[in-house]
Amino acid sequence: MTAQPRRLAEGGRIDRSRVLDFTFHGRAMQGYAGDTLASALLANGVDVVSRSFKYARPRGIVGHGPEEPNAILHLGNGAVSTPNLRATEVELFDGLEARSTGSGPQRLVGAFSRFLPAGFYYKTFMQPPWLWMTWERLLRRAAGFGEAPDGRDPDTYDKMNHHCDVLVVGAGPAGLAAALEAARAGARVLIADERPEFGGSLLARSLTVAGTSGADWVEETMAALSSCPDATLLPRATVSGYYDHNFFTILERRTDHLGDADAGGTRQRLHRVRARQSVLATGAIERPLVFANNDLPGVMLASAVSAYVNRYAVAPGDRLVLFTTNDGAYQTAMDWQRIGREVVAVVDARQHPEGALVQSAMEAGIDVIPGHGVIEALGRARVGSAVIAPLDDQGDTLASPSRRLECDLIAQSGGWSPTLHLSSQTGTRPRWSGAAAAFLPGALGERGLCAGAVTGKRSLRECIEEGASAGALAASRAGFGDGETTLATPDTGESPEASSRALYLVPHEKPVSRAPKQFVDLQTDVTAADIQLAAREGYTSVEHVKRYTALGFGTDQGKLGNVNGVAILADALGQEIDATGTTMFRPAYTPMTFGAAAGRDTGDMFDPERHTPMHAWHEAHGATWEDVGRWKRPRYYPQPGETMRQAVDRECLAVRDGVAIFDASTLGKIDIQGSDAAVFLDRVYTTGFRRLGVGRCRYGLMLHENGYIFDDGVTARMAENRYLLHTTTGNAEAVYAWLEFWRQTEWRELDVHLTSVTDHWATAAVVGPQSRDVLRKVCTDIDFDSDAFRFMDVREGHIAGIPARVFRISFSGELSFEVNVPANHGRHVWDALIEAGTEFDITPYGTEAMHVLRAEKGFIIVGQDTDGSVTPADVGMDWAVRRNKAYGFLGDRSLTLAHHLREDRFQLVGLATADPATVLPEGAQLVEEPGHRPPVAMEGHVTSSYYSARLSRSIALAMVKRGSKRTGQILYAPLADGRIISATIVSPVFYDPKGVRQNA
Amino acid sequence: MLHIRCPYCQEMRSEEEFSNAGEAHIRRPPDPAALSDAEWGDYLHFRKNPRGPHREVWVHTAGCRRYFNVLRDTVSYEILDVYPAGVPDPDAPEETTP
Amino acid sequence: MPEAPGVEYREIPGRGCLNLRGDADDPTLRDATATTLGTELPTEPCSWQSSGDTRACWLGPDEWLLIVPDGEQSRVEQQLREAVSGPLSVVDVSGGFVHANLGGDNAAKVLQKSSPYDFHPRNFPPGRCVQTVFAQAGALVVAIEDGSFVLIFRRSYADYLVHWIADAAEEYGYPMHRT
Repeated sequence: MTAQPRRLAEGGRIDRSRVLDFTFHGRAMQGYAGDTLASALLANGVDVVSRSFKYARPRGIVGHGPEEPNAILHLGNGAVSTPNLRATEVELFDGLEARSTGSGPQRLVGAFSRFLPAGFYYKTFMQPPWLWMTWERLLRRAAGFGEAPDGRDPDTYDKMNHHCDVLVVGAGPAGLAAALEAARAGARVLIADERPEFGGSLLARSLTVAGTSGADWVEETMAALSSCPDATLLPRATVSGYYDHNFFTILERRTDHLGDADAGGTRQRLHRVRARQSVLATGAIERPLVFANNDLPGVMLASAVSAYVNRYAVAPGDRLVLFTTNDGAYQTAMDWQRIGREVVAVVDARQHPEGALVQSAMEAGIDVIPGHGVIEALGRARVGSAVIAPLDDQGDTLASPSRRLECDLIAQSGGWSPTLHLSSQTGTRPRWSGAAAAFLPGALGERGLCAGAVTGKRSLRECIEEGASAGALAASRAGFGDGETTLATPDTGESPEASSRALYLVPHEKPVSRAPKQFVDLQTDVTAADIQLAAREGYTSVEHVKRYTALGFGTDQGKLGNVNGVAILADALGQEIDATGTTMFRPAYTPMTFGAAAGRDTGDMFDPERHTPMHAWHEAHGATWEDVGRWKRPRYYPQPGETMRQAVDRECLAVRDGVAIFDASTLGKIDIQGSDAAVFLDRVYTTGFRRLGVGRCRYGLMLHENGYIFDDGVTARMAENRYLLHTTTGNAEAVYAWLEFWRQTEWRELDVHLTSVTDHWATAAVVGPQSRDVLRKVCTDIDFDSDAFRFMDVREGHIAGIPARVFRISFSGELSFEVNVPANHGRHVWDALIEAGTEFDITPYGTEAMHVLRAEKGFIIVGQDTDGSVTPADVGMDWAVRRNKAYGFLGDRSLTLAHHLREDRFQLVGLATADPATVLPEGAQLVEEPGHRPPVAMEGHVTSSYYSARLSRSIALAMVKRGSKRTGQILYAPLADGRIISATIVSPVFYDPKGVRQNA
Repeated sequence: MLHIRCPYCQEMRSEEEFSNAGEAHIRRPPDPAALSDAEWGDYLHFRKNPRGPHREVWVHTAGCRRYFNVLRDTVSYEILDVYPAGVPDPDAPEETTP
Repeated sequence: MPEAPGVEYREIPGRGCLNLRGDADDPTLRDATATTLGTELPTEPCSWQSSGDTRACWLGPDEWLLIVPDGEQSRVEQQLREAVSGPLSVVDVSGGFVHANLGGDNAAKVLQKSSPYDFHPRNFPPGRCVQTVFAQAGALVVAIEDGSFVLIFRRSYADYLVHWIADAAEEYGYPMHRT
């Protein structure tokens, strides 16, 4: 069994019967269930856990919670690894493997440390410029940013939405009291705490409530809370974000503490909480003191030392020097003495410490040295002694020479900083309180309250009282109870504390610029000298100093260093602290995984796929897919051994020569009803619809008000006051929203209703000279003769026994019937059409052939040949614009803007390459002269380009300046690979310009 | 994440159910043909974009699909009022009858 | 560890659907729906009324979804067209929707994972229905008499949503029944 040399023989909230094996940098160690990784490392006597970010100095564990700046470790290996975890928050599990984050070749940086003052990025490395790239590579490798996992994360994550009347953040004494009051009033309560156990400071301190231990009070309160209906308790859950309108995100770690990657279930869950009221009982974080070499391992927060002793039964040293500015920290000396360790001395910055705890300590025989400070720590990889010296009343000079105290642990307390990150995230600026010597949260308005240590309260009794009041008030604001508390005021046996001393920078015998480094922000290696330098160089805004020095820039967001940094800056600027102010904090409170941010929207569910009713058929017949919006559309159906070109050629020829079938279900479809339906259509389309006969179809262009083409499609008149409008596939939702916008907000007088029927209808287009023959086999109640069923007619009947609408419309220029049936019968009808077509060798075709066929006819695709700056005239579609409508249509006025009447606009043309086998790339730019060096005038660009099997040559559509007047000219497309392709401007209609085939 | 009361559903709903549809109460020119190019351009492209309370159109996209008006503070994001489409601009000077 | 009895998802076949628009204050509309469907048109936002196999769900101040046994759609449409004198739109949308029942003790948990709406029984008791975001699609969620939920969503999203629901329900145990 591996020894745990610093483990106490008894006590702590650990389970000594469950021994857990773990490794740190490959070294085998053991701890107990209930340990954090930090407490287990300390129990095993590990002093150095990392090297610092900038100077590569050895660092040890400082805190015991989210404030920890040094013990930021990498857990696991390969895909199942997590970088940048705070050891103080990692629950120990069997088999845990940990190492330092960024344990790279940092000696290098250490050797250069005198070149790394504040703003070193800007100063040292920018000149000469050519050297910067080298410096950057070196620095990035050396600096400790951690490593990303190298494989797909095998864990699962998800999200869950919540609504509650009162959200309580933090389950310390104030939070528990608040939650219980609110729940008893009948409110839906959610209480979350980042720790595995509720209780907060009560579990780490030796205090009593109403005669029972703090832990017992926690247990009783939780039992009472659990018995309330609608109270949800979330441990291991960090409230990481506070957003607009009382919306919170909570990251719950569900299986991290189990360690086993195969444990199953959701590793982490992001709770999205909408709270009517919130109570922030986020507590406070002890403030370190800034003295020389205060980053040596063995310098810890006093509260952390107590927490390790009381909660984890670990003594992180033998001989303690406590350096304090206040009464409360004396408890740490008492705790240390209680476990039989030596308290070398309490060094108290106050001239006359006199509180009750001070008295108790002195009575217990502890040596108290008043009016002194620890000005420097000495030691190599761990504290060996503390240099102390008398402080004057102002605290900025030493009154007489220093002396040394031999010790291996310096516990420090510079007071407490309320954890106001969440309140600050709402944009509420914290305010400085001289009395509390701390920034306190700003007002949260009508939806939020703060309670407990976060408001500067110091005693347990005050925290419980304030929590209870806040819980009752929050519940009553949410409509539950009268706001009166029901909890009895607890007796905590605390004596009032004497006032503390505000001390932000402990003076040294040497001036700050010459003294050994006095660290303000341990994670980013910012020193007092750096901040003073920034002030000397003219930085006066705390936000600028933050960015110049990196103060508070680490993943810990300056939880320890912020206040000291602000105070040192204020002093350097000759200001009061409230004039300097503090930086603000952003979500997340502590770092979170990308997995939790993504939740279940990964892999197959990253972006939803929409499927037509015939999807399975396409899949079974080997379709390759094209994504159009969220739809999966068959692109082409390659037969064994076929290339894409061969498959598309075969599909195109089947359409032109025989019969083919196409799934057009994805087109947007809107049912329009009402006595003003025609008026409405006249206003949104360039074409007129009032005189369209029932049973007839008409093509229309839809414009934005700026006159540019937004959508196009065929609209059919189904009855006197009923139309069916088709949109393009990708635009269906935008068109529907656009039409509803005008109907609901501007044209409220119209009697017209719009209903999306995109999903209701399945559409099979049967296309080609033999399409009639196929349809006649499956339909007996529609006359398909060309006189009875003309181009642009719509007929209703039955196809394969299913009520159907058949539109004789064509996007290929061939004889074409689009069969619409309710989608739940779509597959049945498709199968029947395929079966009926077998004798004609019916060929399924996909979007690629569809594109080729329509390009042969010069039909545009909105969004491919147009780009949001194209008018109908630009694409030669003036014929679709009726200028004498009784009502203006949307975009009408813009068509006559001078800019749109210019002759040098880009206009749609066809291009025929000199070499018929060469297919121009889509997007290729067109110029007038080959071989000119840039810059060269751009004459246009290719929008569509294909090989046409029917024409045995390539075809292309392009937008060309003055294109309609340049037929016959040659343009050149210089390509990135050096080729220059020449092409002649031709008509965009390559095939059957008279439309004989579609009218057949 | 805003929390918006839909005046039709008469419930508070989360922002992801809604879409913003721009400024409310835009005065549409009754006779666009009578406007110069510049005047038409002003109507098309120029919006108020104020700092502070702003009247906007929102649509309950994932809910009842109805458009409505919102008075929203562009600084604090507080929603000060919601009311149905078609309600005249409360800030507009009263129309005088000719 | 799965928490029994989990979640049950069962598609409901044989449902016809009509989208109805009209003026809620039009007496001819109210009378016609009462006669044709045997149920009142709900005018309370986000609520439904039902009679036997027919349910009318509020979708908007002038919009309802009428859910009828499949095959009844054209009768209902025709009767409404004949009887209503005010503004009217009736559209058969039966093919466009999938109907499914989501039951089991943890059904609400699956909803919570899928939608930002508040499905707590205090806010969403039987008798309510809501159109809301559902995963990255949308759905009409109906709280029915027995405490379970009916989900109605667009057919094209069915493969995605069934996958989503199965995945969300996995930790609770979930028999899936697709038609």
